[in-house]
This record gives sequence, C-alpha cells and structure tokens, in this order.
Amino acid sequence: MDFKPLVRFQDVHLRYGNGPDVLHQVNLTLEPGSFHFMVGPSGAGKSSLLRLMYLAHRPTTGRLSLFGRDVSQLDRKETSMLRRRIGIIFQDFRLLDHLSALENVALPLTITGMPLEKVRRNVSELLAWVGLADNLDSKPPTLSGGQQQRVAIARAVIGRPSLLLADEPTGNLDDKIAERLLFLFEELNKRGTTIVVASHNEALVNRFNHPVFKIINGEVRLIRSAQTIEQNTESGAA
Amino acid sequence: MFGSRNDVPLDKDASSRFLPWLIAVMVYLATMSLIVALTMNKLANRWDQGLSNSLTIQVPAGQSPAERQAIEKKTALLLQEFKKIPDVKKAEMLTDGELNKLLEPWLGKDVVLHDLPIPLLISIELSQSSARTLDAVKVLTAEKLPTASIDDHQRWLGNLLGLAKIIGTVSLLVVLLVGGAAALMVILVTRMGLAIHRQVVELFHLMGAQDAYIANRFQLHALKLSMAGGFAGLLLAGLTIAAFSTLLGQANSALLPSFTLTATEWGLLLLIPVGASLVAMITARLTVLRSLALMP
Repeated sequence: MDFKPLVRFQDVHLRYGNGPDVLHQVNLTLEPGSFHFMVGPSGAGKSSLLRLMYLAHRPTTGRLSLFGRDVSQLDRKETSMLRRRIGIIFQDFRLLDHLSALENVALPLTITGMPLEKVRRNVSELLAWVGLADNLDSKPPTLSGGQQQRVAIARAVIGRPSLLLADEPTGNLDDKIAERLLFLFEELNKRGTTIVVASHNEALVNRFNHPVFKIINGEVRLIRSAQTIEQNTESGAA
Repeated sequence: MFGSRNDVPLDKDASSRFLPWLIAVMVYLATMSLIVALTMNKLANRWDQGLSNSLTIQVPAGQSPAERQAIEKKTALLLQEFKKIPDVKKAEMLTDGELNKLLEPWLGKDVVLHDLPIPLLISIELSQSSARTLDAVKVLTAEKLPTASIDDHQRWLGNLLGLAKIIGTVSLLVVLLVGGAAALMVILVTRMGLAIHRQVVELFHLMGAQDAYIANRFQLHALKLSMAGGFAGLLLAGLTIAAFSTLLGQANSALLPSFTLTATEWGLLLLIPVGASLVAMITARLTVLRSLALMP
C-alpha cells in the first residue's frame, strides 16, 4: 500500500533570527484523516509548530513535507496552491472588520477567482450551518466573541481544506462551548479533514480520544498515540 | 456590495487622502512644464521662419543732408538691382515713418530724422534663403555701397534659438523629475499601506492568495487615486493657461508667445495624467511584489 503522510517533520529545528531554538529536533508524522492535539504551556512552541505547518515560516534546519511535497522545493505558485489546502483558525480570529461576516468567510474562495454567485451560495449555507444565518451582513465588531469565532471557523473550512489547523480555538470559551467546538471539529474530521488543534487546556483535551503531542521547551513528544487509544478502547470494551 | 469592495481597506488610510493632492500638484507642474516646452518650440520656429528669409542692410547716411540725399539715390538704384536677383521677393527702404516708429521707444515722437545721423535701412525678403542668393546680395552691396553692412539675423537668432532650446530641454527635464518624484511618493504611500495592513496582507498570503492578487489591490487603489489627482491637476493647468492666454492676448505683442494649443498638443497634455496614473499603478505593483517576495 502506498503510504503518504500528510505532514512529516524530519529533524526540524526552528529559530527566529539569531535567537535560540524555538523548536528542537522535531520528528512527527500526521496521517491523512487523523486528529491530533498539541498541548503544552504558553510559549512552549505550539504556535511555532503550527506556523511551520501553514507555511508562515520555513524550518531553520531539517526537512518538512506537506502533502508529500518537500516545502523547501516549492516555488511561490506551488506554495500558494498548497496553502489553499490548509484551513487556519487563528487564536485572535483575524477577521477583517471592514467586511461583513459573509465577505470574511468568502475570502478563501474569492482569492481563487470562484464566480461570486457560487461563492455567495456556498458561504450562506456554511454560515447557516454554524448558526449565523441571520448575521450574514454583520461586521465582526458587532458580533459576540463566540459568533466571531464561528465566522473564523467557517472561513477556515469554506475551501474544504485537507488539513485544518486551529491555534488555541477554545482559549476564550467556557468549557461547555469549547467542548461543542471540538465536537464540530470531530464532525469535520469524520468527513476526511485532518485536524490539528493546539491547546493549553489539557483537561479538555483528555476528554477526547485522539493522539496528543506535548511540547515543552521546543521539544515535541507523543504522549498519547493512536495505538494506546485503540488498546484502551479494546480493554474497556472487554 | 458583495465582491465590489477592496478586500484591503486602503481607502481609510491617511496616505490615501493626500496622494491625489500630491499627484494633482505633480501633474500641474508637469503640464505647465510641457506647455512651456511646446510654446518655446513654437516660438523658436516662428522666429526662425520669420527671420531666416529676411535680411536687413544698414547704410550709414553721412553727416550732412546733401550726403544723405546722395546715398538715398544710390540706395534706390541698389534696390532696383536687388529686385533682379532670383528669390528676392521684396526689397525696400524703410520710410521715415517706419524708422520713427522703430526709434520711438528711445527717442520719442516727432524726431526729425534728417537732423540725426540715422542710417538708412533696407529690408529684403527672400522667397527662399540660399547661399547663392545671400552671396549675390552681398556682392552687389559691396560693389554699390561699400560702407553698408548686411545683417542676416543669424547671430542673435542663433542665440535666441539656443535659449529657446535650453528652456525647452529644462522643461522636459522638469517633466521627468516630476514623474520620478511622483513614483517615489507612490512607493512611500504603498509601503505605508503595506505596513498599516501587514496583518491583512499576511492573512491573504497564508490563505493562498497569489502575489499578483494582493498586488492588484494596491495597484488599482493607486490607479484610482492618481487618476482623480491627475485630472484635477490637468484641469488646474488648463485654467492657468486660459488665464495666461487672456493676459497675453491683451498685451498683443508679436514677441510674446501664444498659448494656443493644437488638438495634438492637447492630446499630449492628456497623456500626462494618464501617464502619471500608469506610473503610479506600475510602481505600486512592483513595490508590493518586491515586499511580498520577502515573505516565505
């Protein structure tokens, strides 16, 4: 069988400028359709790891492959095309205040040159799915934090990405809403999207049966693997 | 509304408010400079055409009235000889009235010319200027009136044409400098826009927008502002020229330039705001592409 990991880090180091290593000797592989959590304290390197995955940075040393392509070999056009297969939910949402919810969510489609009528139809349906059917023309500053987050999620998934990266998506939410958000990610995962969620809330993460990477001082360790989860599930069933 | 708005909110930047004014001033200066260049060119042509086919012969009239009369007779005979030369269209001696008119600014009205040693002046108009005709006139003059001197206006005409050429060249240089300054301003404003909207640009970049897509946002914005400013500057220059034309028309002097422009010249002036807008658009595009190239 042809095994092609979606994300592969091989001895990756990351350093900003002349500073110390932010990420140190990272080796990890994410299979297509998997769901992973990244936990660790603030400043441990979770966001930096995600930034490497959505190509905001390149490894200082080591090799990073996305969708089977070595990112150091990509030209600018190929990089753009690869980015379109990645959905990102930023910690601070990064919504554009001068655009409506509809226009914000439409951005990943409009940049591809999709006909506006089709864009409008797709975006309206998705916003209705996340419960914002009545807020299509609302500007982000007039929306609540939770509504803004749903707009950010809708924007991240509108382009049907193969890989969804979420940086502290539950940061400002109470536990109940945070749990519902993670259920929503599980729904997307069932439809085939590979999910990576970075969170410092280990208690919340432990309520879900997905592999977990822990990042401490720039070092990444797998603290709960898919096999462990499988064994636990089997022993629980027995 | 949907899809018609610029994704990058450049309209709200302070730099967007002053760019049209700066472009308007630049286009105004460039237009005025080009008009000066065109006018100087036309004026030089007018002087050239008006004087290169004419000669003036100055004949010292002598101290006494008797001497003057004798020279007048010789001059009249010489005029008859001149008319026999092919290409001499007209040869005549300036009348006392005409001489009075020429001297009026310096000596005042009602001067009795015969009391003064004013030289006689012969004006010759040629149908076409050639070395052969000039030589014939010179030989004839030397033979019949050796004391006379011939002025073919080449010395001072050459100086004037040189001056006109320098003014024209400097004006064109000003147009180029103004164009360069406008391009530098656009670079500055575009960089300010990129700095202000760094997060938005980065967002587009990370969502997979190609560099050309982001550059389009900035270049269309620069084009829109430059067109508005450019045509305002042209309009202002048009009004200035209209005012100048009226003032010069009132002065009614043959030496002063006329600011009447032909359709081709108006077309050339119209190219200034269009050209400035294109320069602004291309500059904005290149500036953005250059900045984006630094992003991974």
